[in-house]
Amino acid sequence: MNVASTVINEVKGYHGFIKFMIFIVALSGVAAMVRFVFGLGATTNMDDTYPWGLWVSFDVVTAVPLAAGAFTLGAIVHCFHIKKLEPLVRPAIVTGFLGYSLVCVGLLLDLGQPHKGWHVLRYWNLHSPMFEVSMCVMAYTTVLFLEFLSPVAEKFGWNIPLRILRWLEMPLVILAAAISTLHQSSLGTFFLIAVDKLHSLWYNPMLPLLFWVSAICSGMCIIIIEATATHKWMEQPNEGVLLRTLAKILPWTLGLYIALRTYSLLALSEGPLFNNPTLTLLFVLELGIGFILPFFMFISHTVRNDDRLRSHAALLVVFGLVLNRFNVSMFGMMDSTHIYYPSLIETVVTIGIITAHILLFVLIAKYFPIFEHHPETVDYSIPDSFGKVDDAVPKGA
Amino acid sequence: MSSNKSPKQNAFLIDLTKCTGCRGCQVACKQWNQLEAENTEFFSGEGYQNPPAMSEYTFTRIKFRDYQKNGQNEFAFYKEMCMHCDDPACASVCPVNAFEKTAEGPVIYKADRCIGCRFCMIACPFGIPKYEWSKGLPLVRKCTGCYSRIKEGMKPACATACPTAIEYGPRDEMIKIAEERLANHPDKYIRKIYGLEEAGGTTVLYLTNLPFDELGFKEVTQRALPEYTWQALRFVPASFLAVGGTLSALSWITHRRERLMKKQATVEQAETPAEEKEQ
Repeated sequence: MNVASTVINEVKGYHGFIKFMIFIVALSGVAAMVRFVFGLGATTNMDDTYPWGLWVSFDVVTAVPLAAGAFTLGAIVHCFHIKKLEPLVRPAIVTGFLGYSLVCVGLLLDLGQPHKGWHVLRYWNLHSPMFEVSMCVMAYTTVLFLEFLSPVAEKFGWNIPLRILRWLEMPLVILAAAISTLHQSSLGTFFLIAVDKLHSLWYNPMLPLLFWVSAICSGMCIIIIEATATHKWMEQPNEGVLLRTLAKILPWTLGLYIALRTYSLLALSEGPLFNNPTLTLLFVLELGIGFILPFFMFISHTVRNDDRLRSHAALLVVFGLVLNRFNVSMFGMMDSTHIYYPSLIETVVTIGIITAHILLFVLIAKYFPIFEHHPETVDYSIPDSFGKVDDAVPKGA
Repeated sequence: MSSNKSPKQNAFLIDLTKCTGCRGCQVACKQWNQLEAENTEFFSGEGYQNPPAMSEYTFTRIKFRDYQKNGQNEFAFYKEMCMHCDDPACASVCPVNAFEKTAEGPVIYKADRCIGCRFCMIACPFGIPKYEWSKGLPLVRKCTGCYSRIKEGMKPACATACPTAIEYGPRDEMIKIAEERLANHPDKYIRKIYGLEEAGGTTVLYLTNLPFDELGFKEVTQRALPEYTWQALRFVPASFLAVGGTLSALSWITHRRERLMKKQATVEQAETPAEEKEQ
């Protein structure tokens, strides 16, 4: 039996929903191809007025903070030493790694000259926020890949790489947090150049700091949602006790965000704030429903201890973050006489990217030990040969 | 960079009171840059302008505006083109340095470097860079300031073709001429040189007898745009070190504490084996 038929048989055994997701991803792959054949103008609704559309607003500007869970949790567990949250780290790293890899995919689709993407490494421009974000995303995707290698090395019993990865763990965690700080905030710096374009409800010099703090909030909320979802749909143990701890941290970060946001709005914004009813509504939805409401929810003991309410509060924060990024990168710069909305192909590609994320997460969880992380059970001694660890031989024997 | 950093760079002085709207500049630009013609309709866009918008095929055009004077409908027009800023936003945001502010004045674009991210289009306060939307692998297009002509000692194509309104020469001289005109004919002009301070200073300067906003000129900041992003970006090395350093120190402290606690626990265990240390 050859490899292909093994793979086909394996896929045949998947759950119907996984097959459906594979179909969606394949469909968006076709849509992505259409973009290269017919050009950006024919396949997207972007034009000279709206040079950035859904692909930048969601696939880059929103997807990056949604993947912030890995660095936030890494720092909480390893630097602030809240070790009991460690079981959540690996799924978060897988989510982060997938998220960033798909950001790279989305970026390559959106670039006019994807084959020249590497030019960023050659022609440095230290004054460009885009240069900074590209460098950081490349560096951080590498860091996440190395962190993701741990379960892979465990799966195949590669002891020596595992020992190296264990030894690198702390430096990688710190590097991850430092790099993430830079590019999460620099995504906000992007829009500081849109001086007279972005509405003053969102434009203020503190945008980079706000982007960073809100990314930390949403990163933790994604972990809560993900752990709740894997418990509900993937037969994983209920991590409610751990999520409760995480939910205790959230009022602090959310509170900091709301305070900074209020301060920047009152003290730093220039120009009229509430002169456009649509934008005012979007702003109220974003800050009120997306940040202030969940802040009060997470303060409540009842919400933190209830699996359902907790995940609902987390979903609200994710809603607030997504709306915030769209407000900054799209709605806040829109001209009411000429509205941008994504084309069918843009929508299919973005849905495909989100689906690919879920699909790959499920498949990785299926084949690699990402939920069963017990460092004490892994044998890190250097074996005599480079062969696989023999599971029949007891550890340390 | 401030607006008087390089007074010797070349600048356009466009006096709209002398512009007849002949569109000779438009034609000369298309010819010199070998730009394709566009299929257009006469009554398209805001007024009689043709083509209706700047595009990958149109680097400059005369923009028409209807306005009312003594109850009569009147025309006003201005020449829309790249402003060739002193400290260009496009050049500062480009991740691959595809834009260069030349010593001669023009801001030029290096297509071989461009990765097509369109950040320049977001950044430009005048909305000048345009994209090849029809292509599979598109690039940015914009006015070159006729850099190839300037290097050979010629004037830009549009300035050469213009019979009346465009002066071209060193920026400080152009400013001097503009100020003289404002001083000699205070009743003829609005007392402002557009481009002197706009976006930190540009090398296209306008004089007009109609309010600039009525003509469709964009109200832009007087500060050079790159300063807005740089005031955040300059903290990048410091924040990297601050976050990295704080977390390193923090984890060193927490790990040390854990080690000491373990040590103490073993000592205590050795001394009083019955007592259990809680984790």
